[in-house]
Amino acid sequence: MFRLCLFTSIVMLTILPAQSLFSQSLGDFREEINIYNTLYDAPLHLVGGADVSLHELAKDKPIILALVFSRCSGVCNPLVLELKENLRMLNLQQELPYSVLVLSFDPWDKIEDMQYMAERFNLTNEPDWYFGVTDSINQVINSVGFKPIWDEKKKQFDHDALLAGVSTKGKMTKKLLGLRNSKDLRMLVQSINKVFIPSYRLPTNTSIFTCFNYDPETGKIVPGTGLLIIIMPVLITWLTVIGIRMAVRKKTT
Amino acid sequence: MENKFKKITSLWIITVLILFVVAIILGLLMRFNQGGNIKLDPVTFYTDMTIHGLTMIGIWFVAGMAAVNYIMERYVRTSYKANLIAYIMTVVGVLMLWGAGFIGKFHAGWTFLYPLPFKIMWEQWATPLFLYALLVLGVGWTIWTVSLMISLLKKYTLSQVFAWQHFKRDAKPEVETPPFVLISMISLVGVLSCLITAAALDFLLLTEYYSNGGFINDALLMKNLTYFFGHTLANEMLYLGLAVIYELFSEVSGRPKWKTSWYVAYAWNLTLFFVLFAFLHHMYMDFVQPETLQIIGQLASYLASIPSTGVTIFSILVAVYGTKINWNLANLMFFIGTAGWVSGGIGAVIDATISNNFLLHNTLWVPAHFHTYNALGNVLFSLGFFYWFSFQLKDGIIKDKHSMLKILLIVIGGIGFLAAFYFAGADSVARRYANYPEEMASGKFWATFGGTFATIYLLGIILFIGGILKRCFGFVFSRV
Repeated sequence: MFRLCLFTSIVMLTILPAQSLFSQSLGDFREEINIYNTLYDAPLHLVGGADVSLHELAKDKPIILALVFSRCSGVCNPLVLELKENLRMLNLQQELPYSVLVLSFDPWDKIEDMQYMAERFNLTNEPDWYFGVTDSINQVINSVGFKPIWDEKKKQFDHDALLAGVSTKGKMTKKLLGLRNSKDLRMLVQSINKVFIPSYRLPTNTSIFTCFNYDPETGKIVPGTGLLIIIMPVLITWLTVIGIRMAVRKKTT
Repeated sequence: MENKFKKITSLWIITVLILFVVAIILGLLMRFNQGGNIKLDPVTFYTDMTIHGLTMIGIWFVAGMAAVNYIMERYVRTSYKANLIAYIMTVVGVLMLWGAGFIGKFHAGWTFLYPLPFKIMWEQWATPLFLYALLVLGVGWTIWTVSLMISLLKKYTLSQVFAWQHFKRDAKPEVETPPFVLISMISLVGVLSCLITAAALDFLLLTEYYSNGGFINDALLMKNLTYFFGHTLANEMLYLGLAVIYELFSEVSGRPKWKTSWYVAYAWNLTLFFVLFAFLHHMYMDFVQPETLQIIGQLASYLASIPSTGVTIFSILVAVYGTKINWNLANLMFFIGTAGWVSGGIGAVIDATISNNFLLHNTLWVPAHFHTYNALGNVLFSLGFFYWFSFQLKDGIIKDKHSMLKILLIVIGGIGFLAAFYFAGADSVARRYANYPEEMASGKFWATFGGTFATIYLLGIILFIGGILKRCFGFVFSRV
């Protein structure tokens, strides 16, 4: 029994400090960065000529914010296209109102570039879609926690596909990284409309003892190492009880 | 019985009762603040809430252990050293906890649910002090628990200590397991499981605290561990009290000693197993926990409580129905305590039913049920024992001029205090609010109502414990 306890302690003491040597990248926590913070109230220049601040635009209807740039040869076009298709399919506008703001994070983009982009997606006449630019893009992306990196070789920004939900009070209630399905998009729209959505912190490589792990390939939840920690006390207890009895019997015979 | 055991048990009783009165006063301050009768700043309120909860859980656990240890000496030799170590470590641990709370202003709540201990809104040192206090308490209690197990297992085999030889209906076993031994062992197994869980929890919390971001805990794992430890300990300490009742109720009532029958053996073995899963009912609102575990939580909540409750009620009713009982404050406390335990248990099972939990979760219904089986259940079990213990120290005569007054104050005060929680909970008043917003205005009325009745309860307790303290102090300082 003593040996077992010693072995378990050694294993635990070896594994845990080793964790601090692992990468401390924020990994999947990026969706949590700046959540519930108020976004920077940037003055926006919208296609169609309107000048309005971000918070004013969100005041009547909460916003789905998509950060893109017009010369993007990567994920921007699929992001907007998929957003358009998913929103059309979900048809939530009656039940959960929202507007979509497609904002350029490229300081070189002009309002004409965004106008062209809106036309390309055939969204110029859609009443709930806004395309625009701002002079305060750095403050906006900082408040969102979005970090595009300019690649001089490719003449492109290296960046995430990002959608952010902005409530009528200008607070960011949810972020979606990557191209996501309609279910996730529905949750984002619900969150900006103050509908409760279950949320939880995603595991990272700094957290090894998770109870359950989601396998994206099979869509199944599989037990994790954390469950062992929950079961372990019962096992140790019974081993102790049996061990004591055996030791006592040995002593008396 | 050796005097040193009487002395250490007296010491436990004195310590528990003094801390109990202080913890009740903290509770009163909280209720009167919620009612708007006094003004506490939120930090003070949550500090009081943290210390009130932890102190209460701690003292009634050690009260049960001290009682079980004292009575166990009738059957086996127990370790005085382990008892003394546990006492010293409990005193040190409580001082550390109170230091973290009253001086360091640590106020993460008595469940210190992860990641609250790391959202530091108090002195930086208070978090590690709090975590080390848990460690000190845990080590002391583990030593005590294991030593009592060793004492029992020296005399009884595994099957005897769990009364498996009684499973057959017409069994006439060579060795009979007294119900006290069975229930004590079953409780000690549960206690050891939750203390090991607490050690794992504390270890993970300390590791994250010192890792500077290099190690992050899984919130779901931490919540599971917290409630495995907290919920199971809260249940096991009730069972320790029941072990005492199985031993003493018949004795102080002038009735034949209770024996282990097949249904008692089955019921308590079921409890041994299922109580370890009942904590899962705390996780109903954690949507990432698979549904199967939520269903197991509901079933285990029923299966852990119903059999043991059933046989205990049956045993007590059989003992008192149509027979002459020598009623005194000890067996009256046991009898009323059992009614309180059952009432609180019903409230708990209602809340542990998933469909009800959607309505009652985090409302005052929750403190309603756990205060019921503690304030009018477990506390009375221990008070009954304290009363019996302190009188038999003196002359063995149990007579009290103001018995009825004491009981009335405790029962009426207790019922009014608990009713306020139940009514407010049914009215969806949320728990853990220092000050109720407009939407929960009825909470204010019920807080004042509850606080007033809790004051009556406190008065009854003070009257009740006065004589006990006097006799215990007398014994501690005697040269006998």
